Amino acid sequence: MIEVKNIYKSFEETTVLTDVSTRFEPGITNLIIGRSGSGKTVLLKSILGLYEIDQGEIWYDDRNLVEMPEKERKLMRREVGMVFQGGALFDSLSVAANVKFPLDMFTAMTSKEKQKRVEFCLDHVNIETQAFQLFPSEISGGMQKRVAIARAIALNPKYLFCDEPNSGLDPETATVIDKLIQSLTKEFNMTTIINTHDMNSVIEIGESVLFISKGEVCWQGTNKDILHTKNEKLNDFIFANKLYAQMRKEQS
Amino acid sequence: MKFFFHVGKYFKLLARVFGRPEKHKMYVRQLFHEIDSLGVNSVWIVIIISVFIGGIMTIQFAYSMSNPIYPHTLVGLGTRDTLILEFSSTILALIMAGKIGSNITSEIGTMRVTEQIDSLEIMGVNSASYLILPKIVAVVFIFPFLFIISVFFGLLGGLVTGSIAGVITIPHYIDGIQWLFYPYYVTFSLIKSVVFGFIVASVPAYYGYYVQGGALEVGTASTKAVVNTNILILLFDLILTRLLLT
Ligand SMILES: Nc1ncnc2c1ncn2[C@@H]1O[C@H](COP(=O)(O)OP(=O)(O)OP(=O)(O)O)[C@@H](O)[C@H]1O
Ligand SMILES: [Mg+2]
Repeated sequence: MIEVKNIYKSFEETTVLTDVSTRFEPGITNLIIGRSGSGKTVLLKSILGLYEIDQGEIWYDDRNLVEMPEKERKLMRREVGMVFQGGALFDSLSVAANVKFPLDMFTAMTSKEKQKRVEFCLDHVNIETQAFQLFPSEISGGMQKRVAIARAIALNPKYLFCDEPNSGLDPETATVIDKLIQSLTKEFNMTTIINTHDMNSVIEIGESVLFISKGEVCWQGTNKDILHTKNEKLNDFIFANKLYAQMRKEQS
Repeated sequence: MKFFFHVGKYFKLLARVFGRPEKHKMYVRQLFHEIDSLGVNSVWIVIIISVFIGGIMTIQFAYSMSNPIYPHTLVGLGTRDTLILEFSSTILALIMAGKIGSNITSEIGTMRVTEQIDSLEIMGVNSASYLILPKIVAVVFIFPFLFIISVFFGLLGGLVTGSIAGVITIPHYIDGIQWLFYPYYVTFSLIKSVVFGFIVASVPAYYGYYVQGGALEVGTASTKAVVNTNILILLFDLILTRLLLT
């Protein structure tokens, strides 16, 4: 479980987050949605401690990140997996070496154990053995995302963060990635937070949805009730897509 | 003001670079990789440049000292001392700043803009130390070797070119390069190489590490890094020459 209480974040003059409070439960996919520039990435990076927040509390179960000394933070980060917007795979390492990297860095596993773990993770994201020795520049965007997910779960994290995991992918592949993250979340009972502005993801895996607009929490609920909300800003966001506007009309 | 801001930020970064590493084995692995990619790959260009410059200098010295009142040993001596004191240490460092320096900035800068550095940080890796320390150690380690290689091939270039062009005989040239030889000049230049090696690795790393934006900004940062590295090399050349030679 991750809980944030009244967090504020600004960069010099511009305020990005104002009074954000919410709870992310384990075992379900928690989505943060909002239009481009609304502060999703900043919120995610603040929760991770990559940005120092100005005010507020960030609880990882019973530990408050804000009060943690740097040393403890570093240790805690080993319980965290992150999938970046662009994948952020290490270009100089092969697919298998990317997944192996955190194991090399932080575990005392033998190379056989590491090999096994790498295969386990890559198998979970449906990467075939032939692709293990390829480099990130030699595989497709969808595959890069899957490798990034495999690397993120390599250390068996309790918390998984994904920043727009399916941006730049075709709708079918995007759904595959979404479903993959959801099934991993359930299998390993992780607390998963996903940034997205893709309505398909919201409908498919939005077990808990947080809508932020201009850095403020505007609405919170599930994919079951999102299409029936009266919240104006949220409606503008959702029904910018004609298809959903159509769906809504047909339902009523 | 901006200058002091950068200096402060640079030293803060260095403090992180020399922080405690997470896992020594990983650093050693990186170190060998860097020595190979930054150092060994530079040997050919160093040899080519040094042979040509050595040859050209010999011809020019021979030409300007063709009057018989000069002893024949001056040509070899001139070539040797210019190589040891300036060319193989300073000028070579300027050239390497262009090759190694821009490579370091673009590599680290690309990792920054594609969030690979964030990714390391999230894992709990000290990214500054992991990425930059092996590069600094590698370059500081290889620069003295590049210096020695450069002096050797520069002298060889002078010998071959001088005799082929018929401006000086081989025995006269060899006489010259042994005449009035001060071993301290070599020590002095080795010290310079180490200092320049540190600058050539750390300053471009600084520019790469703090890039903001995208591919375009990485390019701009590379150019800036090379220019400022060159200025710093010349500045330290002046300081070290003043301190150690006069
Ligand atoms: N390091 C920073 N310094 C200053 N301002 C920043 C910084 N990072 C983000 N911002 C500002 O914060 C706001 C929110 O940015 P953020 O990246 O969180 O948006 P986002 O919701 O993730 O958008 P997208 O969907 O395009 O990724 C933007 O207006 C941006 O300009
Ligand atoms: Mg974003």
